[in-house]
Amino acid sequence: MTAALRDPLISAWLWLLALSGASTLLAAAVSQGWLTGLGVTLGGAAILALAWAKARVILARYLGLAEAPFWHRGFSITLAIYALLLLGLYLIG
Amino acid sequence: MSEHLPELIAPEPPSVLDELPGDLMMWVLIVSELLVFGAGLAAFLGARIFDPEGFAAAQDALHRTGAGINTLVLVTSGFFAALGVRMAEAGRKAATRGWLAAASALGVVFLIVKFVEYADKARHGIGIETHPFYTFYYLLTGFHAAHVVAGIVILGLVSIRCVPRTVEVGAAFWHMVDLVWVLLFPVIYLLR
Repeated sequence: MTAALRDPLISAWLWLLALSGASTLLAAAVSQGWLTGLGVTLGGAAILALAWAKARVILARYLGLAEAPFWHRGFSITLAIYALLLLGLYLIG
Repeated sequence: MSEHLPELIAPEPPSVLDELPGDLMMWVLIVSELLVFGAGLAAFLGARIFDPEGFAAAQDALHRTGAGINTLVLVTSGFFAALGVRMAEAGRKAATRGWLAAASALGVVFLIVKFVEYADKARHGIGIETHPFYTFYYLLTGFHAAHVVAGIVILGLVSIRCVPRTVEVGAAFWHMVDLVWVLLFPVIYLLR
């Protein structure tokens, strides 16, 4: 079990499941009215942050960029800028 | 003359392009697809600025649980495709085909859930022109579903020869489809 968790592919998959579950829980909290006012906005920002984290895992582990530091850095920076753009548009709305 | 020969035949220094996993043309395709979907999602959030209440009301008609299940289905499918690449690199063709078939099967599950979702919208009279939210919804999720169909075909094709390089290229396309969904799902279905 521990050896399996040390496998980068398996740990990436488990991270993706956990991050997806966290996104869905946050969305449920918002739609059920458990979060109100500023909480809704912060919940939305957290959902975007989780999406950004999931995208990073897919790029690094599924697409193998963890083995290519130059490209990993480039894609990470571009993705971070794009996530900030989405966050900005979300906060304006 | 001969003393200059070693310089002429000296190997080129390694390029950063050599570091890129898989095929360069697949990465060109991945980046171009990400730009298209990225622009679409940014446009969606841009349009939402002018009608946040209307977008929130329209979003309430979406089936978030189904889309959440589809996220788990697709990231698991990506995991299976990555295992397929690993098996291909180990020269285990039968195992490669098995994992790629499992990845494709989950792709079909994704499409079935999507079809049920679209059928439910149609039953409630919700179409592409019902509200700008649904224009983006149908265009972005429909275009993504088309990529899932293409991905299933590509995984099937690369399974035939089962060469590590082609399997890696096919799996990379599948991961791109996965990557787009993890960005599309929260923006369209979850953000309030």
